[in-house]
Amino acid sequence: MRSLTEEETRTLFTKLASYTGRSLNNLITPSTSNGVSGSTPDRYVFRLHDSRVYYVSLKMANLATSVARDNLLSLGTCIGKFTKTGQFRMHITALDVVAPHARYKVWIKPNGEGPFTYGGHIVKAHVGRWSEDVPDHQGVVVCSMNDIPLGFGVTAKSTVETKKADPTAIVVFRQADVGEYLRAEDSLFNTTG
Amino acid sequence: MAPSRSPRKTKPSSSNKSTSKRSTLQSSSKTRISKSKVQNAAPSKTKRPTISTKNKKKKQRTYTEKELGIPQLNMITPVGVQKPRGKKKGKVFVDDAESMMTILALVNAEKEGQIESKMVRARQMEEIREARRKEQEKREMARKEKLEEVKDGLRKKRLKNLKILVDVKEVGVEKKVKKKVSFG
Repeated sequence: MRSLTEEETRTLFTKLASYTGRSLNNLITPSTSNGVSGSTPDRYVFRLHDSRVYYVSLKMANLATSVARDNLLSLGTCIGKFTKTGQFRMHITALDVVAPHARYKVWIKPNGEGPFTYGGHIVKAHVGRWSEDVPDHQGVVVCSMNDIPLGFGVTAKSTVETKKADPTAIVVFRQADVGEYLRAEDSLFNTTG
Repeated sequence: MAPSRSPRKTKPSSSNKSTSKRSTLQSSSKTRISKSKVQNAAPSKTKRPTISTKNKKKKQRTYTEKELGIPQLNMITPVGVQKPRGKKKGKVFVDDAESMMTILALVNAEKEGQIESKMVRARQMEEIREARRKEQEKREMARKEKLEEVKDGLRKKRLKNLKILVDVKEVGVEKKVKKKVSFG
């Protein structure tokens, strides 16, 4: 387990910034733990372990150093992993970190929740609402109509183009969905796979 | 024998000589005598070794290539051998909040610029498309109007022809009444 290098940090933030807005700063800035006034600020950091990046409190990260590398499976929240080519892949586990700071959102109708959580892309007919002025190939957080985050994806078309598209046209390419917790149960936390 | 001994003691020159002789003998045999003593005793003798030592020191001094200003040999240094001095070995980690915030600010600015440019481009493209669509519609309308005009012209011509024909027929009918057969 180690902290990220400059290059890795830039790659990670670029990926996160494609889904989130300016409020991403809140991820790094120290916040008072448990909201108790007078307590010391709890800083959150990113740690790399077995090519996976974890978002974890500094206190926890320091404690984790006492665990042997081979014995340490996971700590904090897994954001994603670095590929061998140096790219960064976000995992569904990062949804809790990304969703509150999302820049653009897509709300899907109840009839579209099933196909999406089974790993399908989102078609226009299943879209209930859109954030305004979304450009194409932009990261979006996919929510149900009750505003529950279900996953994230990348827009296939801009908002204007989507209006003209036919109902069966794909408007959002799926990147990750909550169904992966069941579908990719064995590989999601397994670092060897 | 006592008086004979006393003048010997008082003679400074003889005593000096004797001591110098002794000293030379001693110096040859033992190296304990200090330089200062030797200098006091015989300054003319001590000058030589000092010059020789100076020469020796000069000979020992070696100049580096930089000091001499000799151009460096055109040698190939392997990449692995070249080590940047004063730089940290290995990876440079980013762990402090300030540098992370700096990177984040840079990334955010870059991303926002990209989105902004995308939006501007999309808006411009949309405007161009709208203008083209309007132009197309206008052209279509003009074409339709022209077609309608031609159609109207043709219709009028046809009507005129029909009227002439009807008139001619009416004249013909008056002249020749046809027999009509009606059923039931």
